[in-house]
Amino acid sequence: MTRYAMVMDTRRCIGCQSCTVACKIHNELPIDIVYNPVTTIGPTGTFPDLTLSFLPLICMHCENPPCVDTCPTTASVQREDGIVYVEDSKCVGCLSCIMACPYGARQHNHETGTVSKCDFCKDRLEQGKLPHCVATCHQKARIFGDLHDPDSEVSKLVKNNRTVQLLGELNTNPSVFYIY
Amino acid sequence: MSNKHQNWGWMLAVDFFFAGMGGGMLAIAAVVELFGGGTRMSLLGNLLGPASMCIGCAFLILELGKPFRAWRVFMNPKAILTVGAWMMSIAIASGFIYAVMAIPLDLIFWREWAVLGKCLAVVNLITGLVVATYPGVLLGRLKGRPFWGGPGIMALFMLSSLVTGCALHYLSALLMPVLGTLLAPVLTPSSALNFLSRVLVPVSDAAIWRALPGGISALLLLQLLLWSGYLWVKQSGATAVEAASAQRWISGDLSLVFKGFMVLGTIAPLVLLLLAIPAAQALGGFLVLLGGVTMRLLTVRSGEDRTYLPGEQKYRLRLPTGNEEFLNKNWL
Repeated sequence: MTRYAMVMDTRRCIGCQSCTVACKIHNELPIDIVYNPVTTIGPTGTFPDLTLSFLPLICMHCENPPCVDTCPTTASVQREDGIVYVEDSKCVGCLSCIMACPYGARQHNHETGTVSKCDFCKDRLEQGKLPHCVATCHQKARIFGDLHDPDSEVSKLVKNNRTVQLLGELNTNPSVFYIY
Repeated sequence: MSNKHQNWGWMLAVDFFFAGMGGGMLAIAAVVELFGGGTRMSLLGNLLGPASMCIGCAFLILELGKPFRAWRVFMNPKAILTVGAWMMSIAIASGFIYAVMAIPLDLIFWREWAVLGKCLAVVNLITGLVVATYPGVLLGRLKGRPFWGGPGIMALFMLSSLVTGCALHYLSALLMPVLGTLLAPVLTPSSALNFLSRVLVPVSDAAIWRALPGGISALLLLQLLLWSGYLWVKQSGATAVEAASAQRWISGDLSLVFKGFMVLGTIAPLVLLLLAIPAAQALGGFLVLLGGVTMRLLTVRSGEDRTYLPGEQKYRLRLPTGNEEFLNKNWL
C-alpha cells in the first residue's frame, strides 16, 4: 500500500523560500499563514568557523497523527496513503488539532473560521503531478514519493542515508525525513 | 484580519470553569444522595449544577470558529472533546431531572420516585466526575504543550472542580433563606410561584452542612500543596521548555496573577471558611469561585508555550500579522 513521504535534503537547501512562496500561491493562503516555512539555524560558531543551515518545515503527515484523534468533528482525516488533511466543511474551528500538533503545522484561518494545513497538494497528486513545493525546489532539496515502493527515490534515500524524523520520541512516526 | 488565533482563548477557560464546577456539584450531590442518609443538597445548588454546565457549553460554542456547526463536536467517539460533550449533555439532562424532584409541583410527577432519584444520582456521579476531570485529560494528552503534558493537570482540574462545586453548593445553601426573605412579598398564597416559599427555606441542620466548610478547607489545603508540587516538578522538568513555562508562573509574567490565585483564591478562603461566621464563609466561598476561574485562565494561557522546532519561533515572530501599515495603504 502506498505511503507518501518526503525527504528534505538539508545539505542542498539554500533557504531561498521558493517552496514557501509556491505553496502560498498554490493554496491562496492569507498573508499570515505559512504551511511550509524554511527556518534559519545559526550562524553559529566563531569566525572563521561559522555554520549556517536551513530547515524546511511542513506537516509531517504522521503515521500516528495526534491531530486526527483529537478532532471531535472528524474533519481531520488520514487517508490510506498517509496524507492527513482537513475537510473544511466539517471543521468547527475548535483548535484542538492546533493544540495537539507538536510540529505547529496547523493554522487557524481567520477568513474561513476553520483550520487549514498542508495536504501534500493532493489535488496535484491526482493529476499525476508532484506537490508544488517539490516541483518548485530548484536545488532538489525536497524529494517526494512512495515510501513503501523500494524503487522510489524517497525509499532509497531513507534506506541509504542517515535520516532523522523530527520529535521522533513522541511516537508520531512522521512521513517527513531529514538528511543532514 | 488582525488577530492571530493559534491558541485557545479566555472563553474556553470560562467553559472549563463552569463545566467543571457544574460537574463537581453534580458529583457531590450524588454522593450525598447515595450515602447521606436521606439528606439532599439545596434545591438552588442542585439546579445551579446543570445550569452552570449550560453556561459552560455556551462559552464553548462562542469560542468556536464556526459556532453554527457546533453539533459536529459529537461526531468522533475517539476524541476527548466528543466524550466531554456527550457526558456534559447527559449530565445536564440528568442533573435537571434530579434537581426538580425537590420542587413540590404536580407537574413533576416523578418527584416521589425514590428509586429514580438513586438511579439519577449514579448517572450524575459518573457523568459529573467525567465532566469535572475531562478538561485536565484533554490538556494532559497534548504532547506539544510542555506546561500541560502529563497526568498532574488532570488531578488539579478535578480537585478544583470539586472545590468550586462544594463552594457553590455551600453558597447556595446560605442564599436560599435570603432569597426566601427577599421574595416573600411576591410569594403570596395566590401566586403561581407560591411553591417557592416551601423550598426557599434554610437547609436542614444535617451533619453534611456542618462539615462542608471544613471539607472545602481541606480540599483547598490539598490544592495549595498540589499546585506547589506541580510547579516544582515542572520547573525541574525533563526539558528546558517545560522549566521555562513553569518559570513564567513562579517569577515571570503570570506570577502576579498566580500568587493572587494562591493567596486570595486558596489560602484566604481556607481560613475564612473555618471561621464560624456566615458572612466570612460566604466571602470565602466567593473567593474559591474567583480562584477557580483565575486558575483556568492562567492554565489555558500557558498553552502559548509550545515545543518549537529549530529556528521556528524566530521565523514565526517575523511573519506579518496583517496589520502592517503598507498593507492598508492606498497605493493608487
